[in-house]
Amino acid sequence: MSHLQAWIIAIPGALAVLSLLLPSRIGRPLTAVGGLATGILIVVLALATAKGQSGLDALSALFLLPVGIVYGTVGLYTSWYVEVQGVKEAPSARYRRRFLALTNAFACAEALVPVLTNMAGLWVAVEATTVIAALLVRLEGTDAALEAAWKYILIASCGLAIGLVGVLLLYASATTVLGFHHVPEWQAYLAAAKRLDPDAVRLAFVFALIGFGTKMGLAPMHTWLPDAHGAGPTPTSAMLSGILLSDALYVILRFTAITTAAVGSHFVHTFFFIVGLLSLALAAFVLLQQRDLKRMLAYSSIEHMGVVASGLGFGAPLAVAGALLHAITHASAKSLAFQAAGRIAHRYDTREIAGIRGAMSALPYSGTLFALAGLALAGAPPFGPFRSELMVLAGGFSSPSWGLAFAVLGLLVIAFAGLLRWVTQMCGGERPASVAGGEDSPVAVTALVLGFLVVLGLGLIVPQPLAVLIERSAAIVGVAP
Amino acid sequence: MPHVLTPSQALAGTVDALLLLVQLALLRSVVVSELISLYAVQATLVALICLAIGISLHAADLIVLAVLTLLTKAIALPAYMRALLTRVPSRVELPARINVTLSILIAAGLIGLAMLTAARLPIRGGAFLPSADLATTLSIVFVGFLVAILRPNALAQVVAFLTLDDGLFFGTVTLAPGLPFVVGVLLLIDVLVAVFVFSVLVRILVEQRASASIAPLEQLRG
Repeated sequence: MSHLQAWIIAIPGALAVLSLLLPSRIGRPLTAVGGLATGILIVVLALATAKGQSGLDALSALFLLPVGIVYGTVGLYTSWYVEVQGVKEAPSARYRRRFLALTNAFACAEALVPVLTNMAGLWVAVEATTVIAALLVRLEGTDAALEAAWKYILIASCGLAIGLVGVLLLYASATTVLGFHHVPEWQAYLAAAKRLDPDAVRLAFVFALIGFGTKMGLAPMHTWLPDAHGAGPTPTSAMLSGILLSDALYVILRFTAITTAAVGSHFVHTFFFIVGLLSLALAAFVLLQQRDLKRMLAYSSIEHMGVVASGLGFGAPLAVAGALLHAITHASAKSLAFQAAGRIAHRYDTREIAGIRGAMSALPYSGTLFALAGLALAGAPPFGPFRSELMVLAGGFSSPSWGLAFAVLGLLVIAFAGLLRWVTQMCGGERPASVAGGEDSPVAVTALVLGFLVVLGLGLIVPQPLAVLIERSAAIVGVAP
Repeated sequence: MPHVLTPSQALAGTVDALLLLVQLALLRSVVVSELISLYAVQATLVALICLAIGISLHAADLIVLAVLTLLTKAIALPAYMRALLTRVPSRVELPARINVTLSILIAAGLIGLAMLTAARLPIRGGAFLPSADLATTLSIVFVGFLVAILRPNALAQVVAFLTLDDGLFFGTVTLAPGLPFVVGVLLLIDVLVAVFVFSVLVRILVEQRASASIAPLEQLRG
């Protein structure tokens, strides 16, 4: 692990400890600065990786980017959130310290996943995120948070148990080639892929897709996601949706590379199609009848993970590149949407869509940025998700599975309609007289503006180093550029 | 010429069978304390297997993990869960979604599926009865899921998860003894989940609802 990688893990790790020990008036700015610093270091590492000057491969560097984008803004946002949002009454000093500590610990565990290539180590890191996230979700203290934490820990742990079976199968099948006591390094498995038993590798992939797909929110293993994202604290929802889902995808992609090398790509494409289309279909129709602001965004996450899985299923170079870019664009847009939604829900004192009108007049910046994030998530130009969805679809239509591209397009149109309907309903019009107008936190607004710049920037241009990382990552998962 | 099992193979085969029987017994238990006892028995068996493999491979880390497993999973966690139980009505009846006979039949089907799957794969554990290790692991995991699905009770689902983890623990030490850190993490996760997460949730459930049913916690929909 290089110095840069070590810092990226060490900063949130150290902040987790410091936030627990120090008063929140110190922990808050530390978290804000630490988040930004980690974000900058991740971008520097990604640039170095694109130039071939870091010890990391492109896939790792690419999937560190959601950590940088989301933690960079959530750190700032949290310093507002933790002051105003708490358990039932005003947040206590203990609550604030625990919240900041757990948020930083969560970021640390989430940053650890993409830098690992040890398959067993990956499982351990993802399991660590489960425990920390459950504690964060539970911290709200409401009945809904309790239920969400319960479901999350049960379903995610069971899912990861299946994921571990996948790791064990891979390890056990490789013992004939690599020895009974080998280190389960991804590179070693990839090099030995052709000599591994094909059936064992297929089964390991299926277990990994189901297990880590549970964490990724793919249907039909998605049931924990709307509850945890909806009932959890807003910064946690942003980190769950923005980072954790892409972390789980990263693990699945490592398995995909080995499986493709061992048995070819047709097998993995089929499974990606099944879970991708199922996720898209389920989310698109639920979005049409959603009543809760944060659950709406949660189902949108399932939809976008469906887009990613479908892109991987098409297998065409453009579609796979689009799917990889979509992991980044979705992370940035969803993090922005959750943070802005948190501001709106706090101002209106409700998450019920029916209870929110005129958000743009109540919160001129936060409301407007929420509307723009909603447009971005719906797939409207000129934002990042539009570009990546277009790449997935264009790649799909140029692939042998072009018929399925029509299905993806149709479901995206339904999701677009659902999301746009609710966003315009909440953001348009005049605010009720009982709701105060005007922004009250420059720090929170700054976090939103920073997030928006990324969402917009990725729609306008894909920087050359990012394009290089995507191209190399596509090659890693078995797609020739 | 008939195949003769070595004593260690015979012993391991017996332990495999015992693990499966304990898992099946979870499906017919009607009180939570019985489930906890069964979990303790299963954890003891798993710890003994880990100890035996550690000794046979001269792996000190596995021996230490076996002792820790015995102390935490077989003794401390069941005792802690029994202590929790004293806070709910003395005899918590476990509801089941289907009757015992049908659930055992489904479990038998799942075990058959696990054995057929394992038989197709050239995966062999190196330590004891090789051909049964993967089948036993998959069987315990599958039946653990079945218990969690069929028992809508917070405590029963805790135990189902912990037994499922026992299956993974067994699979790791028999199929991949070169991954002692995974074994350690499994142990740690069990402790964390059972003590710091599950038990906290169950305690709140008990305090707020005076029972450990998860039915009141099924409000999030849509």
